[in-house]
Amino acid sequence: MIILLAIAIGSLFGGATYLILRRSVVKLILGLIMLSHGVNLLIFTMGDGVRRGGPPLVDASGQPPAGSADPLVQALILTAIVISFGFTAFVLALAYRSNQAAGSDDLDDLSTTDRL
Amino acid sequence: MLYPIVFIALVASPLALIARLPARSLIAWGLAFIPLTLFGLTLTQAGPVLAGEQVVEEISWVPALGLNLTFTLDGLSLLFALIITGIGTLIVGYAGHYLGADSGLGRFLAYLMLFMGAMLGVVLAGNVLTMFVFWELTSVTSYLLIGYKHDYPDARRGALHSLLVTGGGGLALLVGLLLLGQMVGSYEFRDILAAGDQLRAHSLYPAAVILILLGCFTKSAQIPFHFWLPGAMQAPTPASAFLHSATMVKAGVYLMARLSPALGGTALWDVTLAVVGGATMTFAAIVAMRQFDLKAMLAYTTISMLGALTMQIGLGGKYGAEGVATNILAHALYKSALFMLAGVIDHECGTRDLRRLGGLRRYMPQTMVITALALLSFGGIPIMFGFVAKELMLEAALETDLGATLSILAVAAIAVTAIAYLITGWRLFSNTFLGQRSTAAMQQHVDDPTPGMLIGPGVPAILSLFIPLVLLAPVSTLIAAASAAIYGKPLEVKLALWHGVNPALLVSLSAIVIGVAMFRFAEQLANMRGWPIWLRGDMIFDRLIERTLTGATALTRTLQEGRLRRYILITALTMLIFVGVPFISFGLGAIRFDLDPQLQFYEILAAALIPIGVIATIKARTRLGAIIAVGVVGAMVALLFVLFSAPDLALTQLLIEVLSTVFLLLVFSVLPVRFESFSSAWVRQRDAIVAIAMGILMGGLVLATATNDSFAPLAPFFLENSLDKGKGANVVNVILVDFRGFDTLGEITVLFIALLGIYGLLRLRQGKDDVTPERVPTTATEPLSEPVNTQR
Repeated sequence: MIILLAIAIGSLFGGATYLILRRSVVKLILGLIMLSHGVNLLIFTMGDGVRRGGPPLVDASGQPPAGSADPLVQALILTAIVISFGFTAFVLALAYRSNQAAGSDDLDDLSTTDRL
Repeated sequence: MLYPIVFIALVASPLALIARLPARSLIAWGLAFIPLTLFGLTLTQAGPVLAGEQVVEEISWVPALGLNLTFTLDGLSLLFALIITGIGTLIVGYAGHYLGADSGLGRFLAYLMLFMGAMLGVVLAGNVLTMFVFWELTSVTSYLLIGYKHDYPDARRGALHSLLVTGGGGLALLVGLLLLGQMVGSYEFRDILAAGDQLRAHSLYPAAVILILLGCFTKSAQIPFHFWLPGAMQAPTPASAFLHSATMVKAGVYLMARLSPALGGTALWDVTLAVVGGATMTFAAIVAMRQFDLKAMLAYTTISMLGALTMQIGLGGKYGAEGVATNILAHALYKSALFMLAGVIDHECGTRDLRRLGGLRRYMPQTMVITALALLSFGGIPIMFGFVAKELMLEAALETDLGATLSILAVAAIAVTAIAYLITGWRLFSNTFLGQRSTAAMQQHVDDPTPGMLIGPGVPAILSLFIPLVLLAPVSTLIAAASAAIYGKPLEVKLALWHGVNPALLVSLSAIVIGVAMFRFAEQLANMRGWPIWLRGDMIFDRLIERTLTGATALTRTLQEGRLRRYILITALTMLIFVGVPFISFGLGAIRFDLDPQLQFYEILAAALIPIGVIATIKARTRLGAIIAVGVVGAMVALLFVLFSAPDLALTQLLIEVLSTVFLLLVFSVLPVRFESFSSAWVRQRDAIVAIAMGILMGGLVLATATNDSFAPLAPFFLENSLDKGKGANVVNVILVDFRGFDTLGEITVLFIALLGIYGLLRLRQGKDDVTPERVPTTATEPLSEPVNTQR
């Protein structure tokens, strides 16, 4: 099943790269969302193997079920999901605001302040 | 009593600031008691050193790094310490007269004292790292001294050159010294000097020697790094007299002499030093002969003498060691006198240009006598100390072990240099004191300066005569101790004026005869067009700095031209090259394909919907379509979490997905309606290729790393300890709130900051005037596909 995840991650990274390279702010934001999905899945594969039917819950005696999934990567991803949501919300607000100020969603119109 | 000698100078330096007050010359002579005290303190330590022992003091500083504050006094250190403090005393007093009208005198003297302390630290340090710290301190303080007249662009340029050249050399030196310490296992000079054979046999020896020599050659202004020294003549004359006669530039010579017993004796060390030193000596002597500025003339003769000292260290042998020690002392005496005299003449006549001076013998008779004495020693005329020193230099060249060719070349170089020195000295003297006063300089009233100003140059000039006549015995003891440190073994030294008729004397006398015979052609030689002026290192260096800066600006302009997608493109390409190439060469073999028999069709469906959703997002014609497609991707990611044992993740992901979609719809509804491409087809194709390569690389990396089990997983620890230590059955939750609670705190902080940012963006600026967008003609390669649509 790792091959499935590899294809999913590869397509998420590829699509994200393409969208981030666009000039439209909207596409940039979509690309960032896609990138965070890709990164989350990437972390998911980095643990102690990807397994079916073994959520990391221990029984009353403190023993994990056989074939339990890696809880650490899940904890890391949980943090990552929430942070990427916060980030997306901020970028959306930024896009809204910059559109108000500059009247454009073309990144090339917004680049004047830091051009050398 | 050694470290007080170093620290008194450093700590007392702020005291010099009182010289801002009026009566500056008096205060300066008062301040001169500080170096004089140090001179006395050094002398009290001289007894055992002259008897052939070493005084060692050690303070543990950073023991873990082998960095001890060790101070050692042996013959070589003693010679240098006496020169530094002795000449320092005279310079401080002299500066009070020279800069008497300048309210910055206090600042100047404070720098000078700091510099003196640093220089004493260099020569007294018994540990290479301690020495290096003081070495760099001399670079910094000399920068301050050379740039003292910072209103003048030339002074700043000279100071910057000297700092960049010596500081750059210092970096090489540091690496060389560290290599040395690694090879020996200790950073103490005495251990390094004892490990000579081990060093010379070591495979790192050539690298260490080259790096150390780079440091010494830059500091001591050897070709091709010599150009900073004439530039440093922008310093006020007292500083030039101190830096270039006795101290700063001799630091490189000092270190080479100090290390020569350990590193010398190989062709690499000996021949390099002899050849570079000899070339520097001859070249600079010829350039000096052709100068018209008094200080430039002295600067080039200083470079020449530094070359001579380097050459003698390379030539080696008993006479080499004696020659180095004697020439250091002789040069320090006559050159400090000459620099101070140049300052006197400049001070009185308002110019240092030989073409505007002349006829001063009637107006400045005392100055003339002192100048004559110093010049006689400089020219190596018999009975002066300079003559004794030159004889030893010739002996070193005649007796060297480096073979007949180098020996003959060295003797010839010394003879040419001696002739050039004589002509330089003659030009300096005749153009200043003889002949008629130049009409241009007639307006100024000129006479001998106050006696106080003549003490500075007078003492060393008279010593140049007195040492060979009266003080030869005690000076011989000092030279013997110093040359023993350079030679590595005890030496019997008896300096003498008369060695009998020998080859050295014959060469020396014929050089004098030829030199004197050429006096009448001196001005023609100076005015001759062409040679050695063309080698303008400072110009080349300026251009080098300039090119570096324009190059850096151009590079920045290319890499950071202000557009996000350019940054992303460069980042992606860099990653493709630096990760992709090693991955293809080494990682591909690690990929294992074993088809999972339990693979379910709904798993395949969920996973397949992700690439489909990605393509749909990219291809979407409307914004709503794109949002839906991204939503599908997010939902499928959540489904994968469900399928692969991560229910918590799936829950969170779904919740966040719903929220994100709502936000997207909200915000996108107020953005311009357009959702078509800005970029040209060509750019889109290029980006697609980069993106596909990126996707393949990431997918490949996942396959290669996920099937790799070379690291023990951390999971069992958390699974086993969750209930026991974290009191919870849901291990993921326990990790979040307990095992890695600080991560969660960080996460909350990030959310809070994002919230503050959003609040700031949406609320705080409302109602105020919005910035009007500045329409700058875009330099984009792709033209805008349509005029920008404003909704407001």
